[in-house]
Amino acid sequence: MTAELINEVFLAAAALFVVLAIMMFYRAVAGPTTQDRLLAVNVLGTNTVVILALLAAGLDEPWFLDIALIYALLNFLMAIAISKFTVERGGVL
Amino acid sequence: MYNDGHLEGDAVAAERILVPLSETVTVRQTVGYAVRAGLERADSLECHLVVALPSDREMPEGQTEVDAARSLLSKAENWVSEDVGDSSVTVETAVLGMDEYLFGPRDFASTFASYGEEHDIDHVVLDPEYQPGASAGMLHPLERELESAGLTYDEAPVERPARHERLIGDGTQRFDRLFAMFWISYGFYLVLGDPTYWFDLVTGAAVAGIVSVSLAHITFTFPLGRVQSPLRTLRFAIYVPYLIWEIVKANLAISIVILRPSMPIDPKMTRVNARVRSGLPLLALANSITLTPGTLTVRADDQRLIVHSLIASARDDLFDGSLERAVRFVFHGRESSAIPSPRERGDAEVIGGDEL
Amino acid sequence: MIETVRFWAIIVLIVFGLFFTFVSAVGVLRLPDVYARAHTASQTDTLGAGLALAAVALALGWQNATAYTVLLLFFVFITNPTAAHAIARSAAESGIVPWENDTDEEGESR
Repeated sequence: MTAELINEVFLAAAALFVVLAIMMFYRAVAGPTTQDRLLAVNVLGTNTVVILALLAAGLDEPWFLDIALIYALLNFLMAIAISKFTVERGGVL
Repeated sequence: MYNDGHLEGDAVAAERILVPLSETVTVRQTVGYAVRAGLERADSLECHLVVALPSDREMPEGQTEVDAARSLLSKAENWVSEDVGDSSVTVETAVLGMDEYLFGPRDFASTFASYGEEHDIDHVVLDPEYQPGASAGMLHPLERELESAGLTYDEAPVERPARHERLIGDGTQRFDRLFAMFWISYGFYLVLGDPTYWFDLVTGAAVAGIVSVSLAHITFTFPLGRVQSPLRTLRFAIYVPYLIWEIVKANLAISIVILRPSMPIDPKMTRVNARVRSGLPLLALANSITLTPGTLTVRADDQRLIVHSLIASARDDLFDGSLERAVRFVFHGRESSAIPSPRERGDAEVIGGDEL
Repeated sequence: MIETVRFWAIIVLIVFGLFFTFVSAVGVLRLPDVYARAHTASQTDTLGAGLALAAVALALGWQNATAYTVLLLFFVFITNPTAAHAIARSAAESGIVPWENDTDEEGESR
């Protein structure tokens, strides 16, 4: 019984995280600077990782965690690459 | 290579150039080019060789850096006299940044500009690998700043040897690095795979072998100690709960501030001179500072950290230096963690935003 | 018994995770400039994500997937501050001047 309840809790938490992600999305759209948008997208990425992990637990699909791991790696690389790109005017890495 | 258009135009009787030097593989070629190109433009040349030092003179490694700078300058002076033969070249050498903190490309550019003004120089020859201090490539930002400081510059056309493995230390040290890298990557592979399945064991060993051979020398830039490194890992494990506790505490403080409708924040830029070695200790400190809410490391080029702080209590914690002590404990042991706080040694100050 | 403790531990972790992520979202929306936003966007959020991931790890129990979650947790804690630093640094180098509280009066901050 508790197992099912826990799954419900995880799904509800994932839904709430999606709501928070939508709130942050405002900053990605509004800017005003490139760095603001980048920051918002980076936070959205972290949230996506958390949502994926919660879904993995809630739906009992452990392979979602693989995707979450790759997503976290890509999210980090994206933040680094774009912040480097905006500073060095195209001379990336 | 980049070349300013109006260089050729103004050939004068005596050409004065400024050559900032640092210990790179291309410094010899840069000096050679500077002298050659200078003599093509004018009959006599006044060549100012300078080394700009970024770091803190009070640090124990400060004096060694000054000595290293002087020996580089005297070597460079010899190179010039080797190159010119009998042409009329005068060489001036100087160590810059002895009495000020040089921080970031703008400071370097303004130091060069004021030196140039004193000696009536308006042209700089840059080493493409120029790299003062421990920070990574600052050539492009430096060029931008030089341009805005009104100096013309010129990159020396050098032939770079392929980036070979940095051969730090002898055979045992390299073996230690390979060994550590191999087991770290093998462990990571097996965590992701299945440690009981023979296929994963074999492919993991192959992948870990490739990774350790190709990447060991950039993962560990300092020699590992067979006793020190595991000890450091252990002390790091002690540090993590402490860090998490600090993070939670600071997060609660920040949450209260942000959720209050009036939002009483007081953001300020601060500068803290950290007494930790650059490389991994500095990375650990800068990341810990960033992880603790209320403080955010904006720059960590050398030992000078520019930290943005959001509320006054976070700023006080930063100036009390508890994280710095903890990082010193992790990397150097208990006795070296007892140092005065940045506030007591006068290494912490609030700076205006325009001083970035 | 042990199941009940675990259940409530998971609930508490998730609630705190949601709370800190909520603070981070509010901070991203309310704070005045990119440096201040980076504080909440990357640190309060890191703690929120960390707590939620810890809840997942606790729920999964002792299996291979838990190792993934712990790895993910560790990874988020290392990469998030680094990314925040990179973004703040790029903001500093593109010449964005930090917002400062001119009035010095508590209560008036915008």
